[in-house]
Amino acid sequence: MRVHVVEDDAGVSDSLSLILGNVGHKVVAYPDAESLFKAPPPEGRDAVIVDLSLPGIPGAQLVRWLLNLATPPRVMVITGQSQSFIDHQLRGLQPTWLVRKPLDADTITRVLPAE
Amino acid sequence: MREFSSPPGPLPPPTVSEARLLSVLDTAADGIIVIDEHARILIFNKACEKMFGIAAAEAIGQNVKIVMPIEYAREHDEYLGSYIRTGVKKIIGIGREVRGRHADGTIFPLELSVGEAATPDGRQFIGILRDLRPRKESEQRLADLQSELVHLARVSAIDEMGAAIAHELNQPLTALMLYLQAIRRAHAKGVDIVKVVGEILDKAAGEAERAGHIIQRMRQFVEKREPERHVRELDPLIDEAIDLTLLGQRHRIRIDRKQGTNLPPVSVDPVQVQQIVVNLVRNAIEAAAGMTDPAIHIRTRSADGTVVLEVQDNGPGIAPEALPKLFEAFASSKRRGMGLGLAISRTIAQNHGGDLLVDPGGNGKGACFSLVLPAAAAPADVG
Ligand SMILES: Nc1ncnc2c1ncn2[C@@H]1O[C@H](COP(=O)(O)OP(=O)(O)OP(=O)(O)O)[C@@H](O)[C@H]1O
Ligand SMILES: [Mg+2]
Repeated sequence: MRVHVVEDDAGVSDSLSLILGNVGHKVVAYPDAESLFKAPPPEGRDAVIVDLSLPGIPGAQLVRWLLNLATPPRVMVITGQSQSFIDHQLRGLQPTWLVRKPLDADTITRVLPAE
Repeated sequence: MREFSSPPGPLPPPTVSEARLLSVLDTAADGIIVIDEHARILIFNKACEKMFGIAAAEAIGQNVKIVMPIEYAREHDEYLGSYIRTGVKKIIGIGREVRGRHADGTIFPLELSVGEAATPDGRQFIGILRDLRPRKESEQRLADLQSELVHLARVSAIDEMGAAIAHELNQPLTALMLYLQAIRRAHAKGVDIVKVVGEILDKAAGEAERAGHIIQRMRQFVEKREPERHVRELDPLIDEAIDLTLLGQRHRIRIDRKQGTNLPPVSVDPVQVQQIVVNLVRNAIEAAAGMTDPAIHIRTRSADGTVVLEVQDNGPGIAPEALPKLFEAFASSKRRGMGLGLAISRTIAQNHGGDLLVDPGGNGKGACFSLVLPAAAAPADVG
């Protein structure tokens, strides 16, 4: 399995990849939804971490697309926005996990434990 | 000069018609002083008694210097003498702001207009005086209120952006936490991290610094301070303000930034000018938000003795019916807008001797706001 990280903030993306890599995951990072669409789609065994506030195609739209795949991957939404913003963006979407920033390593590795 | 320094003997008592005149003068709200060619006080009305704390009986016959601050008093005889000799008017018929001295030593601003009358007893000068303190006080109060409002508007702008700024702070905090935890975990497991630890710590420090900058920029912006003036380059101020505004934005927007070459510096209150930039850029972002490719052009240039900042968006422009009230407070088309941004911005611009102008655009063209600021005086005056 792989963990795809879709996050435009270089610092967050890099540190997240470091933690996931240290746990033993194969990590692929994308700065936006567009670049994920150019790569082979995530598989059902994969996990995708999506920042809700992405440049270009909004994070929520990516989540919707992922959840509608034939074999959807697990989706973790990460965000630093307010609850009202999250509710408004997700409107009925059910990602596997929703984690508010700031993130910490324990939360990440609890939901995505070492293989 | 002799004739002024040694006036003739004591003044004669007033006649009956003079007495009637005096009682009329006493009802006047303005201070009235009549002096002769020797600057001796002939008439000193009730309003003057109150204004200067000197009884008329005491004032009459004395040199008018008794109601002036020392530095005026020294020159007054000379003015009067030179006027009588040369006829060159320094104050007669003009009226101007001078300072008076109360018997208790208080110096205060006065508006003085002086008229001249030829009488059988020689030339006389009639001064009409108005205490300017009440006006100065209300001007001061107005200035205080205005700076209070300017500050409040700044706080409200940050407040509007508050949630988004919290989000922005979350980014470096997240990265910082994860970097440190990565090291902590590797260390706990006894993994050899010597090779990478330096690099990770550097990154962590970089993120902490980034968080610090965000806080610092906010703090500079919202802290309440006395208005000040500094001679500054405009462009760096603008760039900082753009950064601050983008912090508060959820969605990215294309910013096309062009700096003029060899722009003269401006004499400004840096935070207030940044406040204008924040307001204009926020408006532009909000206006362009509905477009498929939202973009803002931010340019500076110099134009005869001024420095101009232009903020142009590719939104719908300003509706003709909104234009007349655009710069008035509380004119807003937005659900959450206070309608203060442009009103405050224009006030600040005008307080700086500049202005805020608009090209409303429309018909496929976005609005363009121009902030015009006078170039700072030559370095010699700058101090
Ligand atoms: N770039 C622009 N394009 C189109 N309309 C604009 C633009 N800038 C301002 N306006 C119009 O002018 C109005 C007043 O702007 P102003 O900045 O004074 O207040 P506001 O943005 O509504 O509220 P706030 O107090 O939060 O700034 C806006 O509501 C909007 O209708
Ligand atoms: Mg505004």
